[in-house]
Amino acid sequence: MIDESLRWVDDRLGIAKGGRTFLDKIFPDHWSFMLGEIALYSFVVLLGTGVFLSLYYVPSAHEIIYHGSYLPLRGQRVSEAYASTVGLSFDVRSGLLMRQAHHWAADIFVGAIAVHMARVFFTGAFRKPREFNWIVGVTMLILAIVNGFLGYSLPDDLVSGTGIRIAYSIIESVPLVGSYLAFFLFGGNYPGSGVIIPRFFIIHVLIVPLILLGLLGAHLGLLVKQKHTQFPGKSKSERNVVGSPMFPTFMAKTTGFLFMTTGVIFLLGGFVQINPIWQFGQYESYKISYAVQPDWYMGWLDGALRIMPSWEWVGWGHTIPLEVFLPAVIFPGIVFNIFYTWPFIESRHTKDLAYHNLLDRPRDRPKRTAAGAAMLGLLGTVFFASSTDVMANFFDLPLMGVLWFFRIAVIVVPIVSYFLAYQICNELRQAEGLGKRKRALAVTLTESGEYRTEESEPRPGDGAGVELEPVPVPAFIDVVPPELATGEGVRRVMR
Amino acid sequence: MPKDHQAGEAGTVRRWLRPRTVAPFALVGAVGIIGLIAFSPGSAHASSTATPAPVQATANTATSSQASAYVSSNANPPHLGGQAPSKQLGLYYITLPRSYIAPGAALFAANCSTCHGPQALGGTKAPNLQGLGAGTVDFWVSTGRMPLANSSIQATRKPPRFNRLQTLEVSAWVQSLTPGEGVQIPVVNTSLGNLEQGNTLFTLNCAACHTITGAGDALMDGAYAPTLHLATPTQIVEAIRSGPGNMPRFGPGNITNTNARDIAAYVTKVLQHPTNAGGIGLGGIGPVGEGFVALLIGVGALMLVCFWIGDRA
Ligand code: HEC
Ligand code: HEC
Ligand code: HEM
Repeated sequence: MIDESLRWVDDRLGIAKGGRTFLDKIFPDHWSFMLGEIALYSFVVLLGTGVFLSLYYVPSAHEIIYHGSYLPLRGQRVSEAYASTVGLSFDVRSGLLMRQAHHWAADIFVGAIAVHMARVFFTGAFRKPREFNWIVGVTMLILAIVNGFLGYSLPDDLVSGTGIRIAYSIIESVPLVGSYLAFFLFGGNYPGSGVIIPRFFIIHVLIVPLILLGLLGAHLGLLVKQKHTQFPGKSKSERNVVGSPMFPTFMAKTTGFLFMTTGVIFLLGGFVQINPIWQFGQYESYKISYAVQPDWYMGWLDGALRIMPSWEWVGWGHTIPLEVFLPAVIFPGIVFNIFYTWPFIESRHTKDLAYHNLLDRPRDRPKRTAAGAAMLGLLGTVFFASSTDVMANFFDLPLMGVLWFFRIAVIVVPIVSYFLAYQICNELRQAEGLGKRKRALAVTLTESGEYRTEESEPRPGDGAGVELEPVPVPAFIDVVPPELATGEGVRRVMR
Repeated sequence: MPKDHQAGEAGTVRRWLRPRTVAPFALVGAVGIIGLIAFSPGSAHASSTATPAPVQATANTATSSQASAYVSSNANPPHLGGQAPSKQLGLYYITLPRSYIAPGAALFAANCSTCHGPQALGGTKAPNLQGLGAGTVDFWVSTGRMPLANSSIQATRKPPRFNRLQTLEVSAWVQSLTPGEGVQIPVVNTSLGNLEQGNTLFTLNCAACHTITGAGDALMDGAYAPTLHLATPTQIVEAIRSGPGNMPRFGPGNITNTNARDIAAYVTKVLQHPTNAGGIGLGGIGPVGEGFVALLIGVGALMLVCFWIGDRA
């Protein structure tokens, strides 16, 4: 009966075939393949909590007198945006939990993207044919950062307001078009004509999330189409995928993981305070506070701004504030362009134009790994530089000294990381015995009931002192017959 | 494309029930319950914590009889524990009794004169104190900055070396050198303070250095603005009026006595007892702390989960 009606539906819609492909999609079981899912599920949480927030948040810079339940603010003139966010925190049931969960989810979202990207980078999963997906991924990273910044600005509190002020100066610092661009975006000279909050709001809750959803669809669609990469290993080859099928195994696993991610985010949201805007007060352009930092994913930009010496370029009747333009426009521009073009930079360098479905071990690609380490070193240093004042205060050091430390570190650390990583890769590869297969021991039972062990013949490539040739991709010989190749629940599917 | 499904249908259920598949659900149950408990830091919480615990009222009259009553009890921090604020404003300055001067002179000679000179005129080691007033001396001594152990290190807040009476005595002696000059010792009744006003004034005048949460921060040129979480109302007003170290001095033209009272009330009642609705406050240092938590605890925990439910080979 059910069978029949299903068939009836399928005869008309013809989705069974596509659905079958989807349900039979194979997911490799290695743990590092789940990092992207942290990002995916925190995005889900962002959408959920975000919808809740937008039911109460008022995107307006219009000034009102605060009458809510937070006493120190009573009677002050605040914007509706600020008042409604304080209201969300104190006067809406579970509003504060939602706000905090939304913010933690945003921080974790970008963090997970970064970790996921590192996995893809260091294992070479971006190589042909997956360059497109890498590009889609970098775009999503940028959009996530941008949306985080926009969201951070919505409460209109002192800390985020300072961030908008800095953003305005950054846009303004672009030669020629800067001031027009800033004027256009802010609807006038800073602090703008009150359009900035409603504008940021609609970009934050509608435009960027929509684009992100679209890109996410493309990202996952390509993943299904191209199938997963996998680490080389027993019975795995360029031409197959080994892992758990979407249904039922992976479905169960990933649903569990969705709940875990949600759980961690809501635990943080319930127990650890984030962005207590009621302590900061309404943003006014004349108020300033020390110790103002952006969210962590903007930290590297803030750090670059802080350690830049104050240089200016004056000529042809224009002033270009290099102290802002270089660290806040040129620097991220270069970084993201490197991200975008890396697959092509690398393939041009290695002249490797083949398809790759098997991953590299990071140590087998010392140059790439070292380059990645250098980039992490650079970004890490400028990231830490964004807390110069907090560090100076915490460790009782002079601020200028800390600044100079970072100015030097930002050059030294990437170089040192490069050579260190390169060296470590080479050492790991040369380590005695690593990469060599153990010889099998054949156990025999003699007639007198005695056990004997005997080392089996060396397999090809296992000669004494001979390392397996790991470059470019370790080639494993598929000696195990396919029927026996897999453990319980694991499937092996040809590409 | 050829597919080789190797396991029979009968094995399906058993395969579902592999520990690795089921474990997440078990944990989710636990996490979900805890999450639900955490689910209401909303309005109920707020109304109870938005009104910080009242700081004990500090008010007194300047009559010497009451002052000596206090002196004999030798109570430590501020003032005199008296009850009814006799002055409407909630902030006024006291004159120390003459009887304090003689013991003050002895204390000064023993503890301060090596650096500040016998007549407190200063020298190569330390600045001139004449004309600064009892309030300034009270600030430096009651915050433990003075007596300095070693003149090469910058004075910072420490547990005070003098008790309350000794502090007032030294202050009285320094004041007696230049009668009527300098900053007097204030008595602040923070319960009369207007917190909203204090909030605005603090944000305008103090947050630039001490940060909006009063946590303090490093400033340029090696200086730093200390945390305000330890200061008493008296010390706050003394700091405003005397401008210690690298801090600017705010006269009554700039910050009126009413304003100073409001700031003191705001700092001691709101900043020192922040409304940390929503969980553990991360020390008021903002996104730096939050970033660490998000990356190490948030992303870190989830990566461990990946490691747990995924293959490691
Ligand atoms: C080891 C030397 C030393 C001793 C002992 C010492 N001081 Fe000081 N004092 C200093 C120095 C140095 C400064 C300047 C500190 C600064 O600006 O950070 C100072 C500053 C002060 C100031 C602030 C002056 C201003 O211009 O604002 C006061 C008030 C003061 N001392 C009082 C005292 C009193 C009272 C004692 C005794 C209880 C004392 N000091 C003991 C070295 C000393
Ligand atoms: C230009 C920066 C600056 C501003 C503005 C400023 N302060 Fe300070 N403040 C300082 C510095 C620097 C010190 C430390 C002085 C020292 O120890 O030498 C300080 C110390 C203090 C202390 C002593 C803290 C302790 O416990 O040791 C108090 C109280 C204080 N300030 C209150 C205020 C108040 C209230 C305002 C606003 C009316 C204010 N400050 C504005 C820089 C500033
Ligand atoms: C790409 C995903 C997103 C990121 C990175 C992100 C990030 C943020 C951040 C950091 C804040 C500041 C919160 C605070 O501390 O108060 C915020 C606020 C907000 N977000 Fe999002 N968000 C995302 C998606 C969404 C979506 C999809 C919606 C709505 C459908 C939404 C609605 C809101 C609203 C209404 C606010 C302001 C209310 C408040 O600040 O409490 N967000 N967002």
